[in-house]
Amino acid sequence: MPVEVILPKVDMDMETGSIEAWKVAEGDAVKQGDILFEIGTNKAVMEVEAPASGIIRNLVPASGEPIAVGTPVAWIFQEGEEAGEAAEPTAGAPGTSLAVGRVAPQEGPLPSSVTTPTPSPSPQGGGESGAPMNGRHAAPTADGIRATPLARRTARLNGIAIDAVTGSGPRGRITEKDVLAHLAQAESAAPAPVAARAPAETPAEGELVPFGPVRRIIASRLAESMRVAPHFYMTAQMDMSALQALLKRVGPRIEKAVGVKPSLTVLLARVVGGILPRHPMLNASVEGDAARLHAAVNIGIAMERDGDLVVPVLRGAEGKTLAELTRDFGRLREAVASRSIQPADMRGGTFTLSNLGMFGVDSFTAIINQPESAILAIGRTVEMPVGRNGEIVLRPMATFSLSSDHRIVDGVAAARFMADLREAIECPEVLI
Amino acid sequence: MSTLTEAPVESAVRELTYAEAIREALAIAMEADERVFLFGEDVGVYGGAFGVSGDLVHRFGTERVIDTPISELGIAGAAVGAAITGMKPVLEIQFSDFVTLAMEQIVNQAAKIRFMFGGKAKVPMVVRLPGGSGTGAAAQHSQSLEAWFAHVPGLKVIQPSSPHDAKGMLLSAIDDPNPVLIFEHKLLYKTKGHVPEGDYRVPIGKAAVRREGRDLTIVGSSIMAVRAAAAAEKLAEEGIDAEVIDLRSLRPIDFDTIAASVRKTHRLMVVYEGVKTMGIGAEISAMIAESDVFDFLDAPIVRLGGAEVPLPYNPVLEKAAVPQEDDILTAARRLARGDA
Repeated sequence: MPVEVILPKVDMDMETGSIEAWKVAEGDAVKQGDILFEIGTNKAVMEVEAPASGIIRNLVPASGEPIAVGTPVAWIFQEGEEAGEAAEPTAGAPGTSLAVGRVAPQEGPLPSSVTTPTPSPSPQGGGESGAPMNGRHAAPTADGIRATPLARRTARLNGIAIDAVTGSGPRGRITEKDVLAHLAQAESAAPAPVAARAPAETPAEGELVPFGPVRRIIASRLAESMRVAPHFYMTAQMDMSALQALLKRVGPRIEKAVGVKPSLTVLLARVVGGILPRHPMLNASVEGDAARLHAAVNIGIAMERDGDLVVPVLRGAEGKTLAELTRDFGRLREAVASRSIQPADMRGGTFTLSNLGMFGVDSFTAIINQPESAILAIGRTVEMPVGRNGEIVLRPMATFSLSSDHRIVDGVAAARFMADLREAIECPEVLI
Repeated sequence: MSTLTEAPVESAVRELTYAEAIREALAIAMEADERVFLFGEDVGVYGGAFGVSGDLVHRFGTERVIDTPISELGIAGAAVGAAITGMKPVLEIQFSDFVTLAMEQIVNQAAKIRFMFGGKAKVPMVVRLPGGSGTGAAAQHSQSLEAWFAHVPGLKVIQPSSPHDAKGMLLSAIDDPNPVLIFEHKLLYKTKGHVPEGDYRVPIGKAAVRREGRDLTIVGSSIMAVRAAAAAEKLAEEGIDAEVIDLRSLRPIDFDTIAASVRKTHRLMVVYEGVKTMGIGAEISAMIAESDVFDFLDAPIVRLGGAEVPLPYNPVLEKAAVPQEDDILTAARRLARGDA
């Protein structure tokens, strides 16, 4: 049975590749592991090895044009096999349908993951599908991938193609652990530079910018959150005089001590960390039919990096001083900016703060960062006329909007949190 | 000797054997309700082949503890008739293997009468069935036939694993207006455990989580729940955190408890003494695979069942034909490590 050579998927967000140059010619004898051709992606050029030994037939000429991943680009015939068989090879024989060569990186950054698909045939031998496979459809479809249902589910929820994940289980089976490892890698990997794309003609409907791995995760997670969590929103205006005065007073001292100036966001993390232990349902996660009440308060701070959303986590906010949180946050912010942030720093959040006040936004509502149960959106602080003791006075006011997951947070619980938040913001001494 | 022994101290933990617990349940039911009577081969003067009925014939007389001829079909038919006419028979099949002779009355009559008469007749009978291997009683006295009956709508099938549950579930079975089969593992009769005094009920159809764990779920009933719990303690020493579910009841089956557990652990092993093929393990595996819990499986489901042979007389082979604690340990290690 001839062995098919397909255009392999050598990077997780890769849908097409190009044949830059063949290293063998029609009719050449090759040994398994010989370099067959150079594949071009938008990141690098790599070499593709022969999946089997034999004679090269029916190779697709190198054109540099994009070819869909999984397209057969050549066949390797065993001695005595007829060339005509290539037109209608049959599936099911060991090693045919997924015979992708190992890929040896040649230059450029290492791909975040090199696919090593497992051979498709079942251990029972042959005949799992008697249907003849048209060469055009011989792509490594999900059907040929050995993965557990949980691994597939986790991949689906995180917007990962299952065939991009390398399995570590028996016979290459992909388990949830492998998907999570892949996800961690994708989170820490830098997004691909898109600049090297061919100057294709700009279609009338505008440029199509494919999702990078981070955007794909954001898209899938936030869509999932809106789907599973019934959001409800609660808004309150709070007087920021006390916090502003406090920042003015202790800011310089903290900056002197830890080298970073405390920001309003960190101060609010400190305030929220101080009151959340009294509101367990807002520091909880839905797990099946139960709510997991977290012992620690780990506050995610929504940040932007190169157009993508990243949420580093301030750990142990329930027991840290403002100086400690300022120091921690300084480290996280620097790591985000320098792209050295580790996946571990973005995991385990129990509550999220999103502050867009610096852009002049008055107020907004945020989507809950699953599996957390609430997120607090903070608008700008602006002087507004308010009534105090029968007089109209100007006060620095900010609007706080809490989004809660009604599966575990009820209106009264959210309102109690808002009341405690107001008390702590307007009189931070209560936290002492 | 403590000087305090004169004080009326109620012993905190009263221990009974499984057989004693069943006898106590029978006595409580018979005292409370004169319609309850025992029926079976050698249940009277001899006290039962496994000594379960014991002295009950002396306490309740030969009218209520009745020795029968050796005719399982006849006994079962008489019990069905008695139940329909308002009595509450508790029938003992000397070895559960012999129930094959009584299939017609149990499956074709007892299970169906209530339905075929639109609820106008009911069959409140209990069949006690000593079953299982491990006593060197060979192929015709060692089987685990519970899955046969769990296949029949209209029957309830229970398999308590502890003296506590044996008493409480038997009392629930006697209360039940439907035919209930209680499979009692012969090796459990002499096991001891805490049994509360007096009258209490353990519901039919509710599994018990014997040990909570995160790494895998082991489901079993009767002696397999006991072996699984013992294996889980050893696994814990190796850092494998197994959750053990004691099914207690096969029909109705408590799927929700299994589902919640698998949703958490992502790995399922079903252990049962009956022949592996077409058994309880197949049913539970299929229930999980059909449900939304499918998406939470991170490894193939493992079934550990009896070998595909008539149970051997040779004690070494007999042990080898049925899952033992070591088999559970080995399979659980593989499943937890991801080698399965």
